[in-house]
Amino acid sequence: MPRIMIVDDEASIRMLYREEFEDDHYEVIEAVDGGGLLERVAAEKPDVIVLDIKMAAYDGLDLLQEIRQSHHDLPIIISSAYGAYKGDYKTLAADYYVVKSSDLTELKQKVRKALEGKVPAKAGTE
Amino acid sequence: MNSSGPEENPEGVKQAEVIVGIPSCSEAESIPFVTEQAAIGLSTYFSAYRGVLINCDYGPPDHTRISFFSVPTKVPRIYLSSPEGMPGKGNALRRLFQKALELGARAIVVVDADLKSLTPRWIKNLGEPLLRDYGFVSPVHVRPRFDGTITNHFAYPFLRALYGRRIRQPNGGDFGFSSEVARLCLASDLWDEHVSCWGIDIWMTTLAVQSPYRVAQAFLGGPKAHRIKDPRVAFDAMFEDVVYTTFRMLETFPETWSQVRWSKPVPIFGLGPSETETLPPSRADEEQFYRAYVEGFTRLLPRLREIVADGVLRQLAELARLPFPRFEFSPDLWATTVYDFAAGFHAGRIPRSELVRALIPLYLGRTCSFLKSTRGAQPHRVEDVLEQQCLVFEETKPYLLKRWSEIGSSQAG
Repeated sequence: MPRIMIVDDEASIRMLYREEFEDDHYEVIEAVDGGGLLERVAAEKPDVIVLDIKMAAYDGLDLLQEIRQSHHDLPIIISSAYGAYKGDYKTLAADYYVVKSSDLTELKQKVRKALEGKVPAKAGTE
Repeated sequence: MNSSGPEENPEGVKQAEVIVGIPSCSEAESIPFVTEQAAIGLSTYFSAYRGVLINCDYGPPDHTRISFFSVPTKVPRIYLSSPEGMPGKGNALRRLFQKALELGARAIVVVDADLKSLTPRWIKNLGEPLLRDYGFVSPVHVRPRFDGTITNHFAYPFLRALYGRRIRQPNGGDFGFSSEVARLCLASDLWDEHVSCWGIDIWMTTLAVQSPYRVAQAFLGGPKAHRIKDPRVAFDAMFEDVVYTTFRMLETFPETWSQVRWSKPVPIFGLGPSETETLPPSRADEEQFYRAYVEGFTRLLPRLREIVADGVLRQLAELARLPFPRFEFSPDLWATTVYDFAAGFHAGRIPRSELVRALIPLYLGRTCSFLKSTRGAQPHRVEDVLEQQCLVFEETKPYLLKRWSEIGSSQAG
């Protein structure tokens, strides 16, 4: 069962994602913000991370860079209420960028794609 | 291939760990600034390493060498000149690869001699990942939407879909590489006249993403400014070299790219607190691109019949009949067209340079449509459109695989 880590400081969002992804047979791990996130990622080894940008105490784009430095091939999907961050070059480090919606069709599609999109080891640039 | 030419090494440098290579072609006026900034970059950020500046000059004899040595700096310098009859940035870099290996370098950064926006931080951002076990560092410049169109509409989406790595500006002129990648480049038998000129950047990027070495990107801010050249003179040659080189390399790595589905991001170093693009107003003449499409399609129709599939040709013909206000060249049609050309290149039934040049008006049509659709748009919207185009290239890739295998079957038969 693929493990998906939801990093979002809004409890209602985490609850919505948990219900939806568990229905789709994912194992869901929650992180309320960026505190100790790198250690949790290393310990819990998620297959994909869904990451919010604007959190009260953390900037999701900074967290994205930090995770990417140590987990080169871990799929990370930005899920933000704001589309305007797409203009920020930091988002290039994410696999996909989804604008938050109560309809999770796009997010689910990107999660599936991110898990499918394994580059063969021979390309092995990471 | 013997690519040695005159060399001046007044300080007798025999070893260096970090090199900044400055390819130049008649840049006597601009090279002092680049030399100065690169020297500051080396002495500020790589003071613990032995550094050297190398000017790889591929232009006709002029004052570039004198200008290069005239800059007051304590960083040692070497001047390499391409032999007569071997023009092009690629040939100049080939000399740099050889020299870098001779000096035992660990990190080699390349910045063009005509840059006006170079800062010492570029040297840091392009060089540091190489000392952290990366093999190749590609640049990320802030670029307005009408700039870098070969990158946005061909090089980035095509390489991303084919090789599965999101190198945002794979055709950027400034980059970094390790000695291992230099050795790989020297050993490659894919060298031709296109690589030795404008094709060198995409050639190196493609070799690097195929190699076992790790690839990164370096954020260089921007927008990039360099000496203004006549775009009409440079564009056709640049387009041909870049596309020809990209298509040709497909034939070398089919077993790799045919297995790749979707794509993965590549780490970016050097990003500050918030790096958002600001867009100056577009100066591009959309209608001129439209006219080039219509005229080019009509003129090249007999050739296009031999290159693109019937369904694609019908759609291209319909487009050529549309008036400018209704003209819309979709990303789907563009991706399919490019894949048809890649397959046609592989089939080899048409002279390859001629085939690549026939893509130019179609490319201008797609550029026109992109500019129309992003007129007045905010940066995130523009990036969104480009991202969608990349996804279309990824989704449409099975079409290329099908065309490619059909050609393989017909050649075998």
